Amino acid sequence: MRVAGLSPQVIKALFSTQYANMLEYRAEIALWALSGVLPFIMLTLWSQHDGGNSLAYQGSDLSRYFLSAFLVRQFSVVWVVFSFEEDALFGRLSPYILQPLHPLWRYVASHLAEQVTRFPFAFGIALIFFLLNPASFWLPSFWQLLLAWLATFFSFTIGFLLQSLIASLCFWNERASALERLLFVPYLFLSGLLAPLIAFPSDVLKFANWTPFPYLIDFPARVLAGLPVDILSGFLSQLFWIFCLLPAVLILWRLGVRRYTAMGA
Amino acid sequence: MVIEVQGLSKTYRIADKEPGLLGTFNHFFNRKTYDLKAVNEVSFVIKQGEIVGFLGANGAGKTTTLKMLCGLIYPSAGFISVAGYLPQRRQVPFLKQITLVMGQKQQLIWDLPPLDSLMVNAAVYGIREPEARNRITELADMLEIGEELTRPVRKLSLGQRMKAELLAALLHRPTVLFLDEPTLGLDVNAQAKVRSFLAEYNRRTGATILLTSHYMTDITTLCSRVLLIHQGQLFHDGGLDALTERLSPYRQVRLELNKLASKSDFLGYGKLESLNGRSVCLLVERKNLTSIVSRLLSNFDIFDFEVTDPPIDELIGSLFQKGTL
Amino acid sequence: MCGATQLWELEMGRYLTTMRLFWSNAFGVLLEYQFNFLIEFFAMLASLIGSIFILSLFFVEGQSLGGWSWEAALVVQGFYTLLDGVTNTWLRPNLGAIVNYVREGTLDFVLLKPIDSQFWVSVRTLAPTGIPEIALGIVLILWAASKAGAEFSFGVLFVTSMMLLVSCIILYSLWFLIAATTIWFVKTWNATEVLRALLAAGRFPVVAYPPILRIIFTVLLPIAFLTTVPAEVILGQSATYTLLLGWLLALIAFFLSRIFWNFALSFYTSASS
Repeated sequence: MRVAGLSPQVIKALFSTQYANMLEYRAEIALWALSGVLPFIMLTLWSQHDGGNSLAYQGSDLSRYFLSAFLVRQFSVVWVVFSFEEDALFGRLSPYILQPLHPLWRYVASHLAEQVTRFPFAFGIALIFFLLNPASFWLPSFWQLLLAWLATFFSFTIGFLLQSLIASLCFWNERASALERLLFVPYLFLSGLLAPLIAFPSDVLKFANWTPFPYLIDFPARVLAGLPVDILSGFLSQLFWIFCLLPAVLILWRLGVRRYTAMGA
Repeated sequence: MVIEVQGLSKTYRIADKEPGLLGTFNHFFNRKTYDLKAVNEVSFVIKQGEIVGFLGANGAGKTTTLKMLCGLIYPSAGFISVAGYLPQRRQVPFLKQITLVMGQKQQLIWDLPPLDSLMVNAAVYGIREPEARNRITELADMLEIGEELTRPVRKLSLGQRMKAELLAALLHRPTVLFLDEPTLGLDVNAQAKVRSFLAEYNRRTGATILLTSHYMTDITTLCSRVLLIHQGQLFHDGGLDALTERLSPYRQVRLELNKLASKSDFLGYGKLESLNGRSVCLLVERKNLTSIVSRLLSNFDIFDFEVTDPPIDELIGSLFQKGTL
Repeated sequence: MCGATQLWELEMGRYLTTMRLFWSNAFGVLLEYQFNFLIEFFAMLASLIGSIFILSLFFVEGQSLGGWSWEAALVVQGFYTLLDGVTNTWLRPNLGAIVNYVREGTLDFVLLKPIDSQFWVSVRTLAPTGIPEIALGIVLILWAASKAGAEFSFGVLFVTSMMLLVSCIILYSLWFLIAATTIWFVKTWNATEVLRALLAAGRFPVVAYPPILRIIFTVLLPIAFLTTVPAEVILGQSATYTLLLGWLLALIAFFLSRIFWNFALSFYTSASS
């Protein structure tokens, strides 16, 4: 019984090999986790700022928001376009395309395996954060945690689909991964990684809400931190983006593969 | 003496680590190490203008020795002198005398034509531009490349790339060439080109060449002398024939008989390797060769007859495979 | 004596010619990929707009950032943009490639060249895509500084460029120290990502941070000298001793990077196989 080329056996094999592979890179992954410190730098700035009030979050709310943003970022990082480009460059793609499994599943598995590997490091950083800043400690309820996990997973899915869209363009131009920069810049400024969206002027906020970016960090982070948020509309927006992007990725991918095989590469 | 090596040794300290997280942990606190002698008491001298083949199985210590000769690895013990310099100091006049070519590594800039990389090398070695262009033309003629020099490296075939690599490595007219697998992965024609170029370069400039190769043809056509290193020790230093003799004291005698013969007919003529109808193959010790051949000729009705050495590459190949002598 | 000077001039010529060729080659590579240039340019522009937008969030309702006015903070932002351009043009393409030299073994070729290996790996290429960012940084600095009421006397501009040199040397040394560790740990290339993330703190004046971070950013990881100090100089607010301290730090950092590189190389040459 296979769904989209997947069977329990395939899932198990894919995930366990990718996990073993990721364990080999644990030092790199630890460093990578550490390179997500940007929200903490922003937190020290905002908490030092006398106008912290203007953010509408104060004291421990602010700390919780940025810690949550850090955690959400840790478990929604996507790099599919870079591994895809490498695979295409080293000619590993052709055998993948011949297999009865959509090649994107392979990347999904490696991302999920990497998230599992990353978990202890992210957990450790959160622990250190609470040691330095005990006042901000909070334990989300089970339901909060579940919803936050779901929102983070959807955030990862949107990010993954967005990058896969660019990865598919690599079939036409092998340097298409440069386009990722055009995706990363608005992500950085509109997702809420550097400042909670609530602090944005209303016009900018309105504009941001029309893009997928606020649902990548700001929404899941607010759910996790237990800050006021419209949960229903947040999830609906996330699902909306997933349903828009998924067919686009599949169609573009199929066109790309057709072109790739036609070129005889 | 261009190259002089005495009692050269290199010892690596190897740390033993169990796989997995626990292994890493144990390794951190309770490190177990052992010493591995990659090169052990090797001595030899090479005269100016010699082409010497450097043989050995993977991991025998070939590359380590080659890198010590260039000064890339410090020896643990022993003395090396190359062109009158201590290699590990990597002084500028020494570096201008030598070159290293590695078949599996490349120094040319991938996205640009080789010519650009060549001009960089010229600048690095302090060669003025007109002079550099002269040398490039000369070497390009010898290598039989031309327009490839102005095409991006990534668009060149492996053979063309290797030629360009050689050009880049020889632009400063080194007098000592260290070549590590210069023909690796090339097709037969390209291999032959590289070989004839090296022979020509050696003839014209009198440069000394030390090369390793897995293709025995490289060694047999180019080298009058071979160094065979085995498990870090110098096993043989001398001609190829002498090496064949040491590795195999036998010669093959093949006979084509006019009549069928049986095994028992060949008792006392050496080791019977095969008997197939009327074709016979015997292994005969070198020292008995003439007497046995004359006995065979007088005792059998022979249609055709041939004496050969067992092929050198098979001998060395089996040596590499077995890992022991 | 005369011979020595001549020799020195010859050596200088050799190094300069090499560098000129390296960089003209880099432009050659760029022309192969014009497409990237355009994308990088748009990304950089968007990134600058985003940074300024985030900075503006600190200034609603007439507030200040650690006592710095909006225009003064923009000068810091300008220096950050300029240095980010330097990083993208010069440091990342060169020092990021060290790991490849080690992994592919081509460091051997570098070490066998009769030229200083740190020089070689540091100037081997340029990514001209970062140059517009440098230009934009300079424009922002000059515009914001004039808005903040700075006077561009010759002295101020001279000292500012001196301090910019200091920040470039410090930035280079930090990058180089991290990149050189790849000689041991081929896999720790991500360490430079950590450095990049920390350097992002330089987007804002250092006084805007809590006191402990201020000390760390001044002494341990001299981010203060990268952007805040040059901004203070052009705004005419700096003390002489900070300038001297900056030069001292830059020299120390540079010599550390040299010592560390030689140390790493001795390790490479005695251990590699």
